[in-house]
Amino acid sequence: MVWYALGSILLPLLGSLVVLFLPEQQVKKTGQLFSFLAFLCGLALLVSFALTGESFSRELVAINGVTCYGITVDTLSVLTNFLVVLIGWLICIYSAGYMSPDNREHPICEGINRFYSLMLLFIGSMAGVVFSSTLLGLLFFFEITGICSWSLIGFYGDEKSRKSALWAIALTHSAALGLYVATAYLYVKTGSFSVTALGKLTEAEKTIAFIGILIACWGKSAQIPFHPWLPRAMVAPTPVSAYLHAASMVKVGVYIYARTVLAAGKVPEVIGQVGAIMAVITMIYGFIMYFPQQDMKRLLAYSTITQLSYIFLAISIFILGSQMAFKGGVAHIFNHAFGKSLFFLVAGALSYTTGTRKLLMFRGILKKMPVVGLGYIAASMAITGVPPFNGFFSKIMIIISGFEIGRHNLLILILTIITVIESVGSFIWFLKWMGTNVFGTPSETVATAGKPPLAIKFVLAFLIIMTLISQYIALALLS
Amino acid sequence: MSGTNIVNVLSVLLILTSMLVVETRKLRMAAYMYRFQSLVLVTIFLSIAVFMEAKPLYIWSITALITKTFLVPYLIFKVIKRVKEQEEGVAIDKKLTIILAVGILALSFAVVEPFHMQAVLKLRVALAVSIAHFMLGLLCILASKNALKQILGYCLMENGSHLTLAIMAYNAPETVEIGILTDAVFAVLIMTIIARRLFKDFGTLDTDKFTLLKG
Amino acid sequence: MEKSILFYLLLAVPLATSFLAFGIKSRRLVEAVHFAGISIEAFLSLQMVQYVIREERLFALGDMLYADSLVAILLLIIGVVGFLNGFYSIGHMRYDISRGEIDEKEISSYYGFYHILLFTMVLCALSNNIAIMWVALEATTLGSAFLVGFYKHKASAEAAWKYVLICSVGLAFALYGTILTYSNAFAMVQDAHKAMLWTELIKMAPRLDQQVMKLAFVFILIGFGTKVGLVPMHTWLPDTYSESPSPVSALLSGVLMKCALFAIIKYYAIALQAIGKEFLETLLLIFGLVSVGVSAFFILVQKDIKRKLAYSSVEHVGIIATGLGVGGTFGVLGALLHAINHSVTKSLLFCTAGNVIVKYGTRDSQKIRGIFKVAPITAFLWTAGLLALVGSPPFNIFISEVVTVIAGIEAGHFWTMILFLVLLVVVFVAFFVLISETVVGSPPEDLPKGDVNWLTLLPIGILFVFMVALGLHLPSTLSQLLQRAVTIVLGGTI
Repeated sequence: MVWYALGSILLPLLGSLVVLFLPEQQVKKTGQLFSFLAFLCGLALLVSFALTGESFSRELVAINGVTCYGITVDTLSVLTNFLVVLIGWLICIYSAGYMSPDNREHPICEGINRFYSLMLLFIGSMAGVVFSSTLLGLLFFFEITGICSWSLIGFYGDEKSRKSALWAIALTHSAALGLYVATAYLYVKTGSFSVTALGKLTEAEKTIAFIGILIACWGKSAQIPFHPWLPRAMVAPTPVSAYLHAASMVKVGVYIYARTVLAAGKVPEVIGQVGAIMAVITMIYGFIMYFPQQDMKRLLAYSTITQLSYIFLAISIFILGSQMAFKGGVAHIFNHAFGKSLFFLVAGALSYTTGTRKLLMFRGILKKMPVVGLGYIAASMAITGVPPFNGFFSKIMIIISGFEIGRHNLLILILTIITVIESVGSFIWFLKWMGTNVFGTPSETVATAGKPPLAIKFVLAFLIIMTLISQYIALALLS
Repeated sequence: MSGTNIVNVLSVLLILTSMLVVETRKLRMAAYMYRFQSLVLVTIFLSIAVFMEAKPLYIWSITALITKTFLVPYLIFKVIKRVKEQEEGVAIDKKLTIILAVGILALSFAVVEPFHMQAVLKLRVALAVSIAHFMLGLLCILASKNALKQILGYCLMENGSHLTLAIMAYNAPETVEIGILTDAVFAVLIMTIIARRLFKDFGTLDTDKFTLLKG
Repeated sequence: MEKSILFYLLLAVPLATSFLAFGIKSRRLVEAVHFAGISIEAFLSLQMVQYVIREERLFALGDMLYADSLVAILLLIIGVVGFLNGFYSIGHMRYDISRGEIDEKEISSYYGFYHILLFTMVLCALSNNIAIMWVALEATTLGSAFLVGFYKHKASAEAAWKYVLICSVGLAFALYGTILTYSNAFAMVQDAHKAMLWTELIKMAPRLDQQVMKLAFVFILIGFGTKVGLVPMHTWLPDTYSESPSPVSALLSGVLMKCALFAIIKYYAIALQAIGKEFLETLLLIFGLVSVGVSAFFILVQKDIKRKLAYSSVEHVGIIATGLGVGGTFGVLGALLHAINHSVTKSLLFCTAGNVIVKYGTRDSQKIRGIFKVAPITAFLWTAGLLALVGSPPFNIFISEVVTVIAGIEAGHFWTMILFLVLLVVVFVAFFVLISETVVGSPPEDLPKGDVNWLTLLPIGILFVFMVALGLHLPSTLSQLLQRAVTIVLGGTI
């Protein structure tokens, strides 16, 4: 199983190197191949883990007896890795269609090597984060994902995207200082980088370490006060937004939070309270920001921010004592990734065919482009949490556990109620846009749209299915 | 008059000459002053050698005589010949320099206070003077705006540290002394070469005119 | 091979090469001699490192020359990085000739001075006698002065002037520190020869007079600090690094600066035992953090790419000083490792900057656009180097910065370390701005496409491999050297 895990990390990294030296015509095929291989590793790991069910850690790189990097295989990492490599593979397929001169929004004629190299590098380092058993390893890959995100946001190279890229790297790196400090602090106190060493800290020391970790996680997951980079990052090519800024990279924050909380044993309640309060504040903020958005991707960005807040809330509730909250949180990491990346890819398909992302320009998508329309419906149902789509299952777990803890914790009770209100509110708002955009007779923009390539349609269809079944995968592993 | 007294008196003379170097506006004059001062330095070396029976210092005084009263002034005169007499601008006004110089002297005496090594004790004045001398050289560099004058300032610093070396480390291996002196000569040589190039490029040695590099 | 011969060879080879180079008129021949010289020197220094690993400490010339793990690290930097910079020089200087920056006839003096500089640096590294070490360091200034002012511009003359004057004045302070240390030791052992040997000084360090050593260390720090470019003695550095030919900037920042740094470390080791940690901690932390802070600001506002890199050298010296300041095993380890990493990375960057300048004919970051479209390999190396410089994984500097932060927190400087990290973020942002401005975007239209030739790319490529390798893995040889060097600095017996 170690090899499957390493395969998910190393194969894309190898691919990223190979792709640099290939002629442009072969890049797309090779990129897909390597991401597919990584996906196979992830799948094999998922299956064998589901069969044996044994969690373990293995140290890989040690200097003078101090483990610098190791891998942990458990439900959390296997599940998250699966989503990373699966969506990574899908995105590589999608990009082959999207990154073409026929793209109406941004015709792309060059830089394919760079794009695929960075994408593969990103897949590899995401897997690196996910499996890391040490804080140092988390930090290491945390920073690399940040660099990938920065260079992909700035892919088009114009003034605006360069600025946005800078926002992203500046904010996430500033937040990363928390992780730097936490890593160093952990080492100083315990002589180990291992995540499990967090359990050896005293209550006060844990508080310091977790403040550092939380800050880093807020940064990566675009929570207040580090949120401004995410909406700006929407200038990136849409596959990038779908993958990095919806499905995987922004999950690094919540993932690290979950990983460390899981390993640390008893975590000070104050961390849970702070985490929960900040999550709900961000949630409210993100919700309010839905209303003025006219650009589809920016709307989705704010939706991502609020959905990540759900996961922060869930893990914070776990700190306060609910096992179910943790499962809900992890399941939500998994489920939201499919729903939201589907939504982004729908947006990408729309801008590919019509050249615009303005929400008001779309009407009657379903009639003109049935796959895209269905994708729109499935995605909005999934992220607002309507059964039988996946988002419902994880959201309901979070809310139930919130009420469970809320019985003897007034703060959590209030926060959970706000969460429910937000959930209903965002449902209504997305329903409104869905009604406007999907149904009816096609507007002029939609009517004159081009045809989405096969690659795009395939990926959309795949993800629509995933929004219906991903919860079962998650629940099967979590129970 | 005891030997140490002679050394101390000579040191005071040294300070006076260095003040003259700092204050003289005419470059040629300043260079002569420097040569005179180096002679005083050699005399100090000799007297320490005689009175403290520090044999290595005989050799030192010879080498210092060659390098500091002939070689270095020669290099400087050569540049002066090339650039002609230049009126130099002054960064700090005269009174202030004197006040600063006095301050430096006082500070140097304070600095040598903690030294209680035997050899040094007797020559505390000379030691203080040598350090003051060094600082005066620095003052000369900071206060003047002429490249050549700055080279002279560097020479003063060199003399100061040389005196300190003679007082505190006269028994050091010869290689050390040779090395330090060679460096000093080469430093002046290279500085004069660059100064000539500056004169060729900018037509002046006024450091205020060298303004291509800022920030 | 007789071991003491190795010492003499290490010194003789660059000296002989230098004489040869000055004498040869043909460009091709002088290049060949130069390349042979640096290759042999690199080989010899690696040989020496091997001996040191086996025997821990070697002496020659009546103990005047010595090599232990600390010296070996410096020798490794001089040998390997000096070789790569020398290799790069060949390609770069050819371009300078073809662009008419320099006369073909002058090229032999370039290589001649290059090897003189190499000689003085090796002497500085190997000398056990603290006065000779000072003499050698002063000689490095003099040897490199002509290299700094090698171009015929007015600005290079000005830079050379500033360089020689300020560094010489600064080093004069260090001479005072040297004399003070010596006389202090002499008063104790009454043996002029021994009182100047570092290996003896470190033995008697605990008995040295506290007051005197404090003063001596301050003088040393000001003196050698000028040479490494600590704020506020750094004023010469940006001018010098920006006006020199690029391979010279790489050599100054990558290697020469480390010679002065190791001189400071040697005195640090003595002072640590003589006067204790507290005084050094305060002094070095202040110098270190001020250097990082001031340079961070300047990196942000400078327009000239080489000046940006120069200020980043000041920043990295600040990081190293901070590491020494917080002290302890990790602090010293971090500082030494950072010195190695900075050598590799900064050499790579100055050489790559050299290629960029060859391509664009300007150093102005506002005019350099779209390197990726013009010269993809250069763009890749440039980006990777800058990423490494700001401490991104998977490159080497990330590791040493983490070690430094660990050391700081271990020593109880929690808030200082946070300040330190925040200052580094400023630098981080500044260089990301630089990358995104220069690498992407559209290049000037009349610019011919294609990378500068392989002769310049190959040495940079090797540096790149080192940069990544050191970021992912610490070879056992190096880690052994580092551990022993740390023990030496902290005053333990091996």
